[in-house]
Amino acid sequence: MDSIQSWLATAELVGEAWLRHTTPDKYSRQTLELSRETLLQISSDLLKSPPHSVDSASLDSILTRSRVSVAQMARLIQAKDAPDFGRQLDSLRADQKLVKQLSDRIESRQ
Amino acid sequence: MKKVLQITLGIVTSVGGFLEIGSVTTAAQAGAAFRYQLLWAVLLGTICLIFLVEMSGRLAAVSKHTIVEATRERFGFPFFFIVLIGMVAISFLVLVAELGGIGLSLQILTGIGFPWWAIPVSFIVWLLMWKGTFGLIENGASLLGLVTLAFVVAAVKLHPDWGTAAHGLLPSFPGDQKAKYWFVAVSILGASISPYLMYFYSSGAIEDEWDETYIPVNRFIATFGMSLGGFLSMAVLVVAALVFYPKGIDIQKFEQASMLLTTALPKWGFFLFAMSMLFACLGAALEISLAIAYFFAQGFGWNWGEDLVPSRDSRFCFTYTIIIMAAAIPLLFGVDPIKVTIISMALTSAALPLAIVPFLFLMNDPIYLGKHRNGWVSNTVVAIVVLISFVLAVISIPLEIIGS
Repeated sequence: MDSIQSWLATAELVGEAWLRHTTPDKYSRQTLELSRETLLQISSDLLKSPPHSVDSASLDSILTRSRVSVAQMARLIQAKDAPDFGRQLDSLRADQKLVKQLSDRIESRQ
Repeated sequence: MKKVLQITLGIVTSVGGFLEIGSVTTAAQAGAAFRYQLLWAVLLGTICLIFLVEMSGRLAAVSKHTIVEATRERFGFPFFFIVLIGMVAISFLVLVAELGGIGLSLQILTGIGFPWWAIPVSFIVWLLMWKGTFGLIENGASLLGLVTLAFVVAAVKLHPDWGTAAHGLLPSFPGDQKAKYWFVAVSILGASISPYLMYFYSSGAIEDEWDETYIPVNRFIATFGMSLGGFLSMAVLVVAALVFYPKGIDIQKFEQASMLLTTALPKWGFFLFAMSMLFACLGAALEISLAIAYFFAQGFGWNWGEDLVPSRDSRFCFTYTIIIMAAAIPLLFGVDPIKVTIISMALTSAALPLAIVPFLFLMNDPIYLGKHRNGWVSNTVVAIVVLISFVLAVISIPLEIIGS
């Protein structure tokens, strides 16, 4: 779960930086792609043996939605669509909060 | 007046040449994962490096021997050969990491993957070695490396709580992630106390024709240059602690570390980071290539000298040519330079006794140093730090491998 939070936070940081025009498009897009790929890999490993205290279906749904947001953000950089990018970033932040809550729940039950 | 200029240049180049991919990666990982808690490791590594660099210069200035020449002469070829194998293997890994660091910097600037840069970067490093002089390698790349001062500017601009940060200068035990904590501590020590620096520095003192009158110059450069360099590493750690730690970002990839300066310096931060890494890794790649070639040439009694034309020291030049070419191969196949960096830093710590113990014997030998041999303070500090690094490396490397 720590790795998932780390890569979601990476995508958020890159997204914020792109919106502020502080990073080049190519770097931002490639890093978001990297985040998505890494999230996919970590998620599939995690869902093979999900933590007991978490409903794996809801975890899967949150992680899938996050990956879609990150993929959309990468696509929107190419389209230079900042307003839609901002909306996807907000959605990613909401999922980040849910992942954090799940992670805290797992930690408290251990 | 000439010596004042040399001291100034020496300090400036020590600062500009201090950071490289290992010190930046390990400091950034430490700050991101443990906030200021591992500042003590940077401090400890820097203190040890000050002593070791000072000793390397003193040995060369007084005995007119480099560390390699003296090791072979004092301990004989069989023992020297063991040191050679160990140090060259580790320095080679560090060279792969530095060339990869240049490639990664170019990757984030251009979007072209680092494996594509392996050959052009290696060729440029080789060309600089072939055509350049020792002064160019020692001073040129290090002066460009002064761009790394951007990390200090960023640390100040982020307004850290200096009191809390100062607590990190004292060793403390981690709350959780114990294996990772000690592994990162070991990696920081390995990144700070790189043996190639000692070999490079002592050979440089011979190239610059130092004699006993240079002992105070050497002491100034080692003390102030390395202290300010260590300060730069601490700045990287502090910036990572303020940017990545609150967000829970664990640095596994270069792309993540690339965001280090964008919060404090929004306009230029990204490019300053890329240029810092580019120049820092270029300087380190040149120094390591030279250090490996020095190792072979001095150990086997060949002609050597970066200021000589290649036809006068062909075996020396052939060695760095082969080493640079070989270091490009793993990068061509996409081996992650950050992983190589982390492994090589921890292995450096584990192998430190191999480099340092014979060196301590040399530094206490009146035949080489006469009245300038080591006092008990230098011996004790270096022996303790090396022992700590070795023990931590032996314990934490298996733990980290099992844990990850």
